Amino acid sequence: MSESAKTIIRTVGLTRDYQMGNVILKALRGVELTVREGDFIALMGASGSGKSTLLSLLGLLDRATSGEYFLEDVEVSSLTRNELAAIRGRRIGFVFQNFNLLPRFSAWENVALPLTYRKGEFGVEEQRKRALESLTRVGLDRRAGHQPMELSGGERQRVAIARALVTQPAVILADEPTGNLDSITGREIMSLLDGLHAEGKTIVIVTHDASIAQHASRICTMRDGILTEGGMTHVSA
Amino acid sequence: MSLPDLFRTSWRGASANKLRAVLTMLGIIIGVASVIAMLALGNGARAAVESRFRSLGANQVQISEAMSFVDGKIEQAGEILSYEDGLLMPDHVELVNRVGMSVGSSGKLRYGRATLDMSFQGVTASALESIVSSGQVQPVNWIEGESFTISDLIVDGRFFTASEVLENAPVCVIGYQTSTDLFGGDNPVGQTIWVNRSRCEVIGVMVELESVDESLRYQVNPNLTLFMPISTAIDLLYEEEPSVAITAFVSDETRMDEAKVQIKEYLRERHKIEPDVDGEYLDDFNLTTRKDILGAQQEAANTFALLLAAMAVVSLIVGGIGIMNVMLVSVTERTREVGVRMAVGARPLDIILQFLLEAILISVGGGVLGVVVGILSIPLAASLNQGLALLEPASIPLALIVAVVVGVLFGIYPAMRAARLDPIEALRYE
Repeated sequence: MSESAKTIIRTVGLTRDYQMGNVILKALRGVELTVREGDFIALMGASGSGKSTLLSLLGLLDRATSGEYFLEDVEVSSLTRNELAAIRGRRIGFVFQNFNLLPRFSAWENVALPLTYRKGEFGVEEQRKRALESLTRVGLDRRAGHQPMELSGGERQRVAIARALVTQPAVILADEPTGNLDSITGREIMSLLDGLHAEGKTIVIVTHDASIAQHASRICTMRDGILTEGGMTHVSA
Repeated sequence: MSLPDLFRTSWRGASANKLRAVLTMLGIIIGVASVIAMLALGNGARAAVESRFRSLGANQVQISEAMSFVDGKIEQAGEILSYEDGLLMPDHVELVNRVGMSVGSSGKLRYGRATLDMSFQGVTASALESIVSSGQVQPVNWIEGESFTISDLIVDGRFFTASEVLENAPVCVIGYQTSTDLFGGDNPVGQTIWVNRSRCEVIGVMVELESVDESLRYQVNPNLTLFMPISTAIDLLYEEEPSVAITAFVSDETRMDEAKVQIKEYLRERHKIEPDVDGEYLDDFNLTTRKDILGAQQEAANTFALLLAAMAVVSLIVGGIGIMNVMLVSVTERTREVGVRMAVGARPLDIILQFLLEAILISVGGGVLGVVVGILSIPLAASLNQGLALLEPASIPLALIVAVVVGVLFGIYPAMRAARLDPIEALRYE
């Protein structure tokens, strides 16, 4: 990826502490990360290393204890809950390990869910149209009317990816997207993410599987809350 | 979230577990239904009281004898209200310009070989006027809303005059059915009939009448009657002087309280009632005006309303607690859903509105079913209350508004709990 590509994510000295009784647990220690448009980054690390905590911060689901986080050049640390929700709904797409689809809603309704929180920008027909486009992109347009229970694991994850794509976000954050799938289905999902990357989508994926990380253009490793990339360790002073 | 999306989402949530939703609604259904039925009972009773006392004009004082309990029996409190008490009243009470009196009896009526067992009414000459002003009966097939006069009440002959009342004239006016039962198609006017063992000349026949209130038409027959001068009735039908009902007409209806005082003084003097050691009079008569009736009725209605309000509050609180309980369970069950919604852009307010609207939908659903059950239960309530139950139209919107308020009050806490969930914890919830 060229250095001139637009910066999507930039963190400066990001820390996240958790108070556990009298003990302060440092989950992130001065993380410095820059993600440019079109990057495909794999965050690797052992369980408890802080990679999911970092992904939650990047996804605006959590707030850093200290440091700065710029999303598309906007410093988001001081934004209100409503402002963060609005940015999440428009600029971030999530893919979870356990799919997190709503059981009583059809595939297209799950995909359209982020559009319903856009304050009436999309009527039901427009929501359905966009959801079907997104489902077509992941090859599931024929299953649009099915509920999650009627879909296989791989199909559910495709629906979740379609949901992440429907708002045309700045970045897709995927937390162990193949963790609940068999190896063949996992490869299909990674192939789908490769395709999205090839189209220019920006993707950050959390995994502990080296073979999955091989799909990424950059690999970062978390260890004890410290982010390391390309043999370099980024720790703020 | 737009309103249609919000409704769609909340409806999906509320209807996901239909049995649970219906069971949750039960408290609201019972509460609203009982309020509708109780208001209908109150409304019916009020209508019946209004109908019964409509005849009492604003310038009239109803005088009846007082009763007292002696050894568990109801007895006359003192002297009877006599015909003479009424007859002399206009001459001795400044504010009373005339009186109406009546006395009832029953016996055999005979003409030729035909005999009828029936009730007789001894009345004053103003009886027809009282019938017209009461508004309780009307000529059969009379045009609704049209007024009628005393001349419309007599189909043949005439009613007796005040002088005939004073002279104890042996005359009578018979009801329409009495006429057909006794005389067939013949004209009764001028004929002599036997009232018990006394002769009486028929001088008039009443027109066929029916109750204005359709529900009473099969209960009351206003056509099987016989009217005679009250003085004649007392002479012919009673061995001892009977107690009469007196209606005093006051010349100035703005001075009703003053008129009541004057009537009391007059009757106390005639009945020789002296004050007791405390200066209190133990009257053997009761005076009632329209104001007294409305006041007592208002007091009863207020007590009833308080009772209803207490019942409604208790049942709706129980129903509301049921809704809150189910919504709290629902929020816990759907914690992960809340996390997903937050992750895809839902604001805390969106989550609050979603769960609040679910609670309101359940509550209003209960309210609607409660209104239906309440309306269906009105005939049952009526059968338990002598047919006195009328749907109070205002109770329907009132019940639905109350249901919305209950939904909001008891749904807001679970909704706020949902909105306060930490999205990361919510997404991890198993």
